[in-house]
Amino acid sequence: MSTGPGLESLVDQTISVITNDGRNIVGVLKGFDQATNIILDESHERVYSTKEGVQQLVLGLYIIRGDNISVVGELDEELDSALDLSNLRAHPLKPVIH
Amino acid sequence: MLPLSLLKTAQGHPMLVELKNGETYNGHLVNCDTWMNIHLREVICTSKDGDRFWRMPECYIRGNTIKYLRVPDEVIDKVQEETKSRADRKPPVLGRGRGRGREDGPGGRQPKGAGRGFEDGAKGAGGRGRGGSGGKTSGSRGGGRGRVKCQAKELQIC
Repeated sequence: MSTGPGLESLVDQTISVITNDGRNIVGVLKGFDQATNIILDESHERVYSTKEGVQQLVLGLYIIRGDNISVVGELDEELDSALDLSNLRAHPLKPVIH
Repeated sequence: MLPLSLLKTAQGHPMLVELKNGETYNGHLVNCDTWMNIHLREVICTSKDGDRFWRMPECYIRGNTIKYLRVPDEVIDKVQEETKSRADRKPPVLGRGRGRGREDGPGGRQPKGAGRGFEDGAKGAGGRGRGGSGGKTSGSRGGGRGRVKCQAKELQIC
């Protein structure tokens, strides 16, 4: 569980990031700075579609620029492993409109 | 670990940079700075749709146009070594930002907030104190008068 505000408590935990272009990236938070630039290790993208199950694309080690981040959330790994992603259908997210 | 330290460590390694406009740049990182501006060599640029490619010997990318960077997995292990060795070398910094205490008692605060110490560094070590004893907490009103008084006192002493 995370405690307190900020990302410090999420370091070395698996997080889920939603970017401004509507992507969902899941990985282990390795670091961040004041601009919310973040380091994600062992990351993968989850691609949602209404036609087929969720696809997982392996991305590896990523530095995501803070400008491009909408949401950072802690991932409940227990709950997540119980999901059957291949049977999960969802609309892809739309990009943020500035 | 800071994202920019990881980037710095990735110097000399191949990487992929995606810009906000969707173009991607594949190349070897030559240099980067604290704004995330980056200098790449031996670059292949790919258009947003991924259907057009350009080769260029080098390019320089302004940091704020970047969406994300993909770096080789092994780079993260190299950062940890570097930050550790740097932390060993660095002596602890203490007693910074103490501000400039007042010596004479009466009279309010000096005009323009001289000696209030803005630095926040050095956890728990002094910092920002008002220094000096006594004196009213009232702000600007007492300020001018106080100073005049002090000068008068000095004259008397002389």
